[in-house]
Amino acid sequence: MESLSTTLLEALTLLFRGDAELWNIIGISFQISSTAILIAMIPAVLIGFALAYAEFPGRRLLISLFNTLLAVPAVVVGLTLYIVLSRQGPLGEWKLLFSQTAMVMGQIALSFPILVAMSHSAFQSAEMRAWNTARTLAKNPLHAFMIIMREVRFGLLGALLAGYGRIIAEVGASMMLGGNILNVTRNIPTAIAMETSKGEFAQGIALGIILLVMAFFLTMTLQYMQGRGSLAHD
Amino acid sequence: MTKKIPSHIQFSQINKSYSKKHFGLFTNKKASKVILNSADIELKGGECILLTGKNGSGKSTLLRILAGLLRPDSATINTGFESLSWKQSRKLIRKQVMYLHQEPYMFDGTVRRNLEYAVQGSKSAKKVKKALKWANLEHRADTSAKCLSGGERQRVALAQAWLKQPSVLLLDEPTANMDDGSRRSTEEILNTFKQMGTALLIASHDVNHFHHTMDKRLLLEDGEIFKIDNFDKKVTFFPQKKETGRY
Repeated sequence: MESLSTTLLEALTLLFRGDAELWNIIGISFQISSTAILIAMIPAVLIGFALAYAEFPGRRLLISLFNTLLAVPAVVVGLTLYIVLSRQGPLGEWKLLFSQTAMVMGQIALSFPILVAMSHSAFQSAEMRAWNTARTLAKNPLHAFMIIMREVRFGLLGALLAGYGRIIAEVGASMMLGGNILNVTRNIPTAIAMETSKGEFAQGIALGIILLVMAFFLTMTLQYMQGRGSLAHD
Repeated sequence: MTKKIPSHIQFSQINKSYSKKHFGLFTNKKASKVILNSADIELKGGECILLTGKNGSGKSTLLRILAGLLRPDSATINTGFESLSWKQSRKLIRKQVMYLHQEPYMFDGTVRRNLEYAVQGSKSAKKVKKALKWANLEHRADTSAKCLSGGERQRVALAQAWLKQPSVLLLDEPTANMDDGSRRSTEEILNTFKQMGTALLIASHDVNHFHHTMDKRLLLEDGEIFKIDNFDKKVTFFPQKKETGRY
């Protein structure tokens, strides 16, 4: 086995040389995950908002359900959607299996409970008093909603980043629904898994570096916006 | 154009009870508690009513119903022109009736930004500047609203009300935890609202304040509202029912 330093050097060379295959995999990864998070974001935030401020039958059950879904493994989500999208499945006629659309569907299913649960917590942290004040001051319900969105913006941003972090690095659902087809559905985690199984560690490490750098910048952005990391006030 | 409700408004037959729900689905009627029982109240422009009652008597619940923020079991609203159910008039109420919480919520940002939320239409910067001056908050304009004292928060909330110009202003314990100076300045501000023709309803368990502002004192007890006739006399304890008349 090559030494770690040689593999790391190879990985950095791949990255900085602009290896087309490697950057294509990175592009596919970000395209699929960004599409999934953008589609899931709006309905999830609205549900989180309703769970925090609206009284309706079954509200507590829904909260428990979304919290339970947080713990569902990605591979189970992948398996369920695989059955639904496979030829004999109810949506088999759509021929979506092993496509980017199927991967987006899987990532929406994975990120949705995180987005709902975390945006619910964010809205809840602002209390009912905040919503009542917003409704009293605002010229219409949409204006009140925008006021409260601004109030909990860091919590919502945290929810988005957590959801994005979960789907960009998950391998189970992507492998089952995408099939790891080069230039079509091969993304960062499926490529890492495949290269590792082949004993080719350099590309896997290069992709791992990308994930790590992305996680670092997302966390730094959130910290900067929240003003964290500064010393506590007196 | 927005339909304006008159500052003379009558809420009658207000009923509200809280019932316990299992898993948010099944109502346990046996465990329900009656908060308001056919309560009636009339608010007139330029008049200040002090609503007293023990802690937990339902004062805040009543105010939130009047502000359109809480759904009653039943209620009728008479605006002088027509008689409407609470549901029918809720939109109208929310536009014209303003409720100030006993601990006003301050949004993230400066005092100026908190006031901007209450401004509608053009020339908002000028209006906010005027409101800051009116509430004597000019020196705190660029301070984070979350860092204000209780009295200052109350003044910001009153400045927001001044900007909104509601027909009816509902205040929940507006001087709780205030020192004498802050209490006096709050009373002065409330008097200016009266002069502007705003109907004021102040809920407070402290019956000996607002002497210079109030015109009428009501007592909320066992879900019903009673009028206290001799409010010139200092009250040291809640009056007996026989001293009061059903409002």
